[in-house]
Amino acid sequence: MVPVNYYIILSAILFTLGALGVLVRRNPLIMFMSIELMLNAANLAMVAFSSVNHSFSGQIFVFFVIAVAAAEVAVGLALIVQIFKSKHTINVDDVNSLKG
Amino acid sequence: MTAAQIIFLITAAVILGSAFMVVTTKNLVHAALWLIVTLFGAAVLFATLNAGFIAVVQVVIYIGAIAILFIFAVMLTRRSMTDTGPGLNRGWWLSAAIALLTFGGLVWLVSGWGGFTKAAPAYPSGFDAVAALAHALVSPEAFVLPFEVASVLLLAALVGAVYIAFQRKGEE
Amino acid sequence: MPQPQDYQTLLPVIVLAVWACALLLLDSFLIQRKGLTACLAAAGLAITLGLTLSQIGRSSSGFSGMVVLDGFSTFINALQLVSGLLGVALAYAYVKRMGIERGEYYTLLLFSVVGMMLMAQATDLIVVFIALEMLSIPLYVLAAFNRTQAASEEAGLKYFLLGAFSTGFLVYGITLVYGATASTNLSAIFAAASSTSNLLLTIGAALILVGFGFKVAVVPFHMWTPDVYQGAPTAVTGFMSSGAKIAGFAALLRVFATAFPAIAADMTDILWALAAVTMILGNLVAISQTDIKRMLAYSSIAHAGYILMAFVPYGNPAVAPVSIAAGLFYLAAYVITNFGAWGVVIALEQPDGKGLQISDYSGLFWRKRGLAVAMTVFMLSLIGFPPTIGMVGKFYLFRAIIDGGFTGLAIIGVIASLVSAFYYLRVVVNMFMREGEQKIEREFWLDLTWGAAAFLTVAISLAPGWLFYLASAAGLR
Repeated sequence: MVPVNYYIILSAILFTLGALGVLVRRNPLIMFMSIELMLNAANLAMVAFSSVNHSFSGQIFVFFVIAVAAAEVAVGLALIVQIFKSKHTINVDDVNSLKG
Repeated sequence: MTAAQIIFLITAAVILGSAFMVVTTKNLVHAALWLIVTLFGAAVLFATLNAGFIAVVQVVIYIGAIAILFIFAVMLTRRSMTDTGPGLNRGWWLSAAIALLTFGGLVWLVSGWGGFTKAAPAYPSGFDAVAALAHALVSPEAFVLPFEVASVLLLAALVGAVYIAFQRKGEE
Repeated sequence: MPQPQDYQTLLPVIVLAVWACALLLLDSFLIQRKGLTACLAAAGLAITLGLTLSQIGRSSSGFSGMVVLDGFSTFINALQLVSGLLGVALAYAYVKRMGIERGEYYTLLLFSVVGMMLMAQATDLIVVFIALEMLSIPLYVLAAFNRTQAASEEAGLKYFLLGAFSTGFLVYGITLVYGATASTNLSAIFAAASSTSNLLLTIGAALILVGFGFKVAVVPFHMWTPDVYQGAPTAVTGFMSSGAKIAGFAALLRVFATAFPAIAADMTDILWALAAVTMILGNLVAISQTDIKRMLAYSSIAHAGYILMAFVPYGNPAVAPVSIAAGLFYLAAYVITNFGAWGVVIALEQPDGKGLQISDYSGLFWRKRGLAVAMTVFMLSLIGFPPTIGMVGKFYLFRAIIDGGFTGLAIIGVIASLVSAFYYLRVVVNMFMREGEQKIEREFWLDLTWGAAAFLTVAISLAPGWLFYLASAAGLR
């Protein structure tokens, strides 16, 4: 069988990849997809912990994370599409009337 | 090497490869499709961890709803289908260094810690995991409160999304 | 079935959530009368505030330890509801002026307050997480509410992306904590953590800190704050800068004080550094701002640093109660002053987005004395100058910190406050010394908001004992 440690290491790599994607890419859609990768990494670790502990709260947490991801995706993609409609670009570099 | 280990290694490779493609590809449609591959790989791993229900939820909601919404969003913003211009921001090397450091720390942490070197035990035969999960989800002794709050949250998100995307009269 | 005690524990939250859903339905019948929606939203908040106040002194837990009702949650919820009411009062005329008067505004605001209140009561990380999203998602939409302005949509997108990013950290942190302790319940985590101290738990707690750090705008997780505060409709900014901060700090305190005293030694150093960096950077960058909304955004970052200072000794039972009470007092003082300041900003903002530069405040005293005096009071309070509530708050805070043995941090705080005097006083100097003209919006509820805030800022500072007593009674034990 596969030791649970391996799942956690895999999830750590996936989380890092996701975080890296958010930090280095400029397209909000890709950034958002990278955030989904981060959430999935957490879910993977959660299910692994949950199965090794034989406790359900981990799996239920994953369930809620998925529900929240769905809610976020609805709002986030609406925002992205709306900005594209009004500006015809969604690149973060072009969406910068606010000077940072 | 057992079959379970081989399945794990293949799935892990697929997950990491596709996740890498999501983060690096310039084409947004490809990114969304690679995301689906990653999500599917995660579903396979959920199944190997005795979490069959979560695996199904992953496929139905994450792939069936969330990833498809992503593809819709990419299609609706079609002009930016390929990411033109510099895909990376100026401070990318700094971000990369921080992320790699974090990653090294996490891996060192997990590998140095002996708490989880055992494999996930299987459920005793005759144990209905899905029924137990369902009970936990709606039982007042367990998780009914977050369940109800999640329903209100989805309502709020729905109202918000409709407000943002709604085309008013007088707007182009 | 849930027991009556479960409902009693959560009664105000349930009432407000049901009210928000009802308002959503009712609003569709009030087609031309959105002012009525605002009044109904305010009525719901007021009723909930009454219920919350009736719960003073009670303590119970419900839903098998998912939520708790205690002095702390009552104090925070009352503060949250007051800030919700002030948020409605600020918005009432503002949304009309900006041409964005829609019923959804108030519904989303109520949903957000529901999430904020739940966060103060949550004693399970799952509920903390859901409550955090419950407060954030409506705020993302509210930040993007002014669809006629590109800046508002961008603020919404930026807030959303960074908020979702921070959610990722929070979720991973919760996961690691669960991995270390096999539970998401705060007291169970405490029980498991004290038997074995391990690195996984510390990293998990640090990631949770990152997640909350984004919400309360602590350096180095503050990058979104100036852009979002500037781009969002001003009434939303006023509400967001108070409400999200109260909720974030409440949950941070609850989670850390209940679940993580075992790792307080590590966390105290991290919190110390975060508080110091936040105070220094927030105040230094604020100096170079010319836009009043950006200046107040950096001011809000700096104040997050002051409040965080109170949490540094959270694991030391001898010092923590006093310092947490001082933190809660400071939070209340900040909310009152902050709403007043944003009220003044709204009074000067024009529909075309003019009137937001600090130079636009020139000569305000000679046109509208009340407004200029009120703004002066708020600026003095934000510096911590007598006779204002901000001074009293800083006094309690620095005293508690020095008693706790963190003299170095207190010195940094005092120096940061001195630096901050520079940019706050610039606004005051502009109002009194320079020449200028501006159009000022008069509106009853807006005038009442800044008027009452100015009155309270001065009045409470003359008799601060009762509020500090309440804050002390609210301390987590």
